Amino acid sequence: MLATISKPRVLLPLLSLVVVVGGWELVGRSINPLLFAPPSVVAQQFAELLATGELQRAATITVQALFLGYALAVVAGIPFGIVMGAWERFGDILQPYLYAIFSTPRVVVVPLIIVWFGIGFEARLFLVFFWSAIAISVNTAQGVRHARPDLVEVARSYRANRVQMARHVLIPGAIPFVVAGLRIGAERAIVGVIIGEMFLQIVGLGGVIQKGSEELLPAKMLCAVVIIATLGTIIVTLLDTFEKRFQNWKGDAA
Amino acid sequence: MSARSRKDVRRDQLIGVAVFLVLWEVTARALDNPLTMPPISAILAALLDLILSGELFLALGQSIFLLIVGLIAATVIGFVFGALIARSQTAYWMLNPYFSALFVTPTIALVPLVLVWFGFGFPGRVIVVVLAAVVPILFSVASGLRDAPGDLIDVARSFGVKGEIPLLFTVRIRAALPVLMAGLRLAAGRGVVGMAVAETYLRLGGIGGLIKSYGAMFQTDYVFASILPLSLLGIGLVTLIARVERRLHWT
Repeated sequence: MLATISKPRVLLPLLSLVVVVGGWELVGRSINPLLFAPPSVVAQQFAELLATGELQRAATITVQALFLGYALAVVAGIPFGIVMGAWERFGDILQPYLYAIFSTPRVVVVPLIIVWFGIGFEARLFLVFFWSAIAISVNTAQGVRHARPDLVEVARSYRANRVQMARHVLIPGAIPFVVAGLRIGAERAIVGVIIGEMFLQIVGLGGVIQKGSEELLPAKMLCAVVIIATLGTIIVTLLDTFEKRFQNWKGDAA
Repeated sequence: MSARSRKDVRRDQLIGVAVFLVLWEVTARALDNPLTMPPISAILAALLDLILSGELFLALGQSIFLLIVGLIAATVIGFVFGALIARSQTAYWMLNPYFSALFVTPTIALVPLVLVWFGFGFPGRVIVVVLAAVVPILFSVASGLRDAPGDLIDVARSFGVKGEIPLLFTVRIRAALPVLMAGLRLAAGRGVVGMAVAETYLRLGGIGGLIKSYGAMFQTDYVFASILPLSLLGIGLVTLIARVERRLHWT
């Protein structure tokens, strides 16, 4: 969001990291260990969780549900979005429901998911899949609808047939929207998997947080939070870069 | 861009809603399983009951109060740090990475920590809302204040406005208002989620607590009836801010 800062400096973030970690260590040591953990304790806990394999197992469970749910969302969301965009009446009728579901906080839907899918893998998969599929299909539909009328006109005047029209005008025009949908969908998917692990079956990285909270081990919670934040940062940054590339492409075409 | 007129769209949507409600009612009655799919009539009866008993308004009142306090706190904090990040390269490089990390971390993952540190009470819940909502405000303040138009600043200077602080209030904030509103709109959406997360996780108070307790009793019709006002609250708030935002586009 703040991409246009001129001089990137490495020293300042490092300095700030030292200050924050140092301050955290000092404060952490002086507070009740049941409430707060200094970085040294967190690091120790991290090594311990790695040694027992608990962290790897949790991360595998999280990543499995996340990737499978997201892959399903991509596979289902894009074609559905194309249908919604191409068949405008259908899209218009469906839009309000998707918008309403999308703006409802997922934690409050958890009771419904429990009665529909139970608390197992399917329930978590649904939490990941459904909301990111909505993000992807709504954006795809928008992209399909926003084909530039002048380009469509030109293609028509050259008697492009339907396939050529789709190949050369509609799809290239829609791709930046689809990619934006993929990014928003991924953000939703990450939150979804964590909600599932904390509110349904206590497993995965979300489960580690929940257990840490019950065992009063703040260090354990912090380990899982750091991994989730890192995972989220990597996925979102990757898709962000991807999105910017296509944004430029759109700029070139315009 | 759509070739269809607004009137056509409205008509189709109204027919769509009617068909949807009838289909739901018929399917639910055919399935006859109020646990998984209560009929619309039962949900509306539950909603009426929640309204008449005053339960809904009490819960909504608590939720809205939490939301407003949280959003105000998030605005103040986001403003201070956003202004700092906008005006100082040092602050940018020292603080921005943490806020970026906070932005991608699901709020729900932080709730247990907040609970341990700040307890079950109102302050803990406000902090959850702040954590959810602060980053969009901060980013919008930072980019809005950074990109203040140079000619406006020059004019203000030549009329005798001196110093960063007076400039901030007379020129920069006003020039940045549309961007700030966009940040506030994003923050409101995330704030509603944070509010629901706090109330649901802590299992007490507000509309989130209401939904959670009916969920625990497996009264699906009441769960639907209490989710509905929450969705409307979120959509209404975001729409309201978007309206104000559109009016502010004078630049």
